[in-house]
Amino acid sequence: MSRNAAEWQERPNFPETHYVSTDIYTDEQIFKEEQERIFNKCWIIACHESELVSAYDYRTFHHPGGAPLIVIRGEDQKIRSFYNICPHRGNTLLYEPVGNAKRITCIFHAWSFNAKGDCIDISRGQQGYQDRFGCEHAGLREVKTEIGFGGFVWVNIDDSSCTLKEYIGDAMSMLDENLSAPLEVFHYHKAVVDTNYKLWHDTNSEFYHDYMHYFNRITGMIQPGYFDRKYTGYPNGHASVGSMAIKYDAYEGGKARGVGWPGLAPGGWVLIDIFPGMTYNLRTSVLRMDTAIPMGPNKLVIEFRGLGLKSDTPEQRAERVRDHNTIWGPFGRNLHEDLLGVHGQGLAMRERSDSKWVLHGREENMTIHDEGGMRHFYAEWSKRMGRKAYDPHGQNAAKAAA
Amino acid sequence: MTRTTVQTRDAISELICRSCMTLDAKNFSAYLELCDPAYRYAITAYSPEIRKDMTWLEHDKAGMQTLFTNLPKHNSDQSPLTRHVTVYTVKPSDDGQQAEVVSAVQVFRTSLDGGATELFAVGKFHDRVSLSGAEPKLLNRNVRLDTRMLGYGYHIPF
Repeated sequence: MSRNAAEWQERPNFPETHYVSTDIYTDEQIFKEEQERIFNKCWIIACHESELVSAYDYRTFHHPGGAPLIVIRGEDQKIRSFYNICPHRGNTLLYEPVGNAKRITCIFHAWSFNAKGDCIDISRGQQGYQDRFGCEHAGLREVKTEIGFGGFVWVNIDDSSCTLKEYIGDAMSMLDENLSAPLEVFHYHKAVVDTNYKLWHDTNSEFYHDYMHYFNRITGMIQPGYFDRKYTGYPNGHASVGSMAIKYDAYEGGKARGVGWPGLAPGGWVLIDIFPGMTYNLRTSVLRMDTAIPMGPNKLVIEFRGLGLKSDTPEQRAERVRDHNTIWGPFGRNLHEDLLGVHGQGLAMRERSDSKWVLHGREENMTIHDEGGMRHFYAEWSKRMGRKAYDPHGQNAAKAAA
Repeated sequence: MTRTTVQTRDAISELICRSCMTLDAKNFSAYLELCDPAYRYAITAYSPEIRKDMTWLEHDKAGMQTLFTNLPKHNSDQSPLTRHVTVYTVKPSDDGQQAEVVSAVQVFRTSLDGGATELFAVGKFHDRVSLSGAEPKLLNRNVRLDTRMLGYGYHIPF
């Protein structure tokens, strides 16, 4: 039965934990607060250690909190991160996304820095600043950096944050055995979609949307064990989904995976969502890592990485590449469908489209089509934001008071 | 050095163009008729971010057939693509039975809603063409993309 305007606006007949206001996906002020209260307080994946092989190798990273970063391996092999901002006149220090820089020299006035963030030269410094200002005052802003959980390089803008290990807690325990061997990134691409980062993370937090994926319906949903997988929530908003065996040869042209993964059962699949926007997706022969980098409430950059073992033979690597890209590459069966879905949400959910609510009401004992994974995420979101996801502007409370 | 006759070069150019026209029209069976039974297809790109070559898609002829057959079962962007190709070089083998062909390709996407066209991707076709039959056939195609960001992507290969 269709509804009129008033009925459309009514709060859903669910507990407040089981729906959110679409304002949280579209409001500019809420986005700015998310940058400050969430992204600048959480551990975020910037890159993988295998992207920084040699001393002075660097990557640049646009931190979702807003700061542009350099991630660089020093001569001592330690990986450090700094703001990619010259302290002189605010120029970008490194323009390319990747390179090798023993000496980082700003193109503007030739101020120079080393891989430890020290300012090592100010051009005509004595002549211009005399004794008032020198290199010792012009070091780069360093950002906390740790390597962990599969060799990923994590950064935290908040100098007073907990350690990475404390932040993750037990959330990665399902993958402990699987991430013990050194890994290597073999696939990287980015997608820019006009949507909110939380809508993307939602697709990694629920599997009810397997209805969108013909591949997943055939190889997973109708196979034994699919509905046995359960969500587990962890402190700090992380969540995991238990394993199952994928039947790849059920998809026409598909075949069972020959190459496996250390510690993973044949055809196995484990997924772990890390708050606020990273997902470990270990599927039989390949590890996929998504990192969400919001540029605005309705613009999202997603970095996609595919990883194999550093010890892969060329044949094993070729098979992992095929396995990854058949499903998750830019021309893969599933990824396009996922991106279409969140693109559609972004279209329908723009400010003033009169979209009102997103339902997270499914309850199936926390098994695969339960929406508990999203409820867990938004509980953490609400705590960090000091806003209720179901009533972010307090309008319902105001109405009730009136 | 063996030179290609004008007629052979014309025939090869027409083959390359027809490979684009048939895919533009989503006439997949006609596309596969342009391909040798031993056809192999790949989409590759170099990622400067990870300093590695990537293979984004790789199929033999049967695999391409399966890909096309399965397409209607998937949710896909239905915006039509227009492939524009310019054949750059044609280099025949010494025995004249094959030719290596390099062509520039640009792919444009036109939205169904309103019809705005945008450049979607650029790259090159690195083709090996069989000349041993009555007509040239595609033996091997590597779509070497310069473009690495494809928005929400596309299911049909270039």
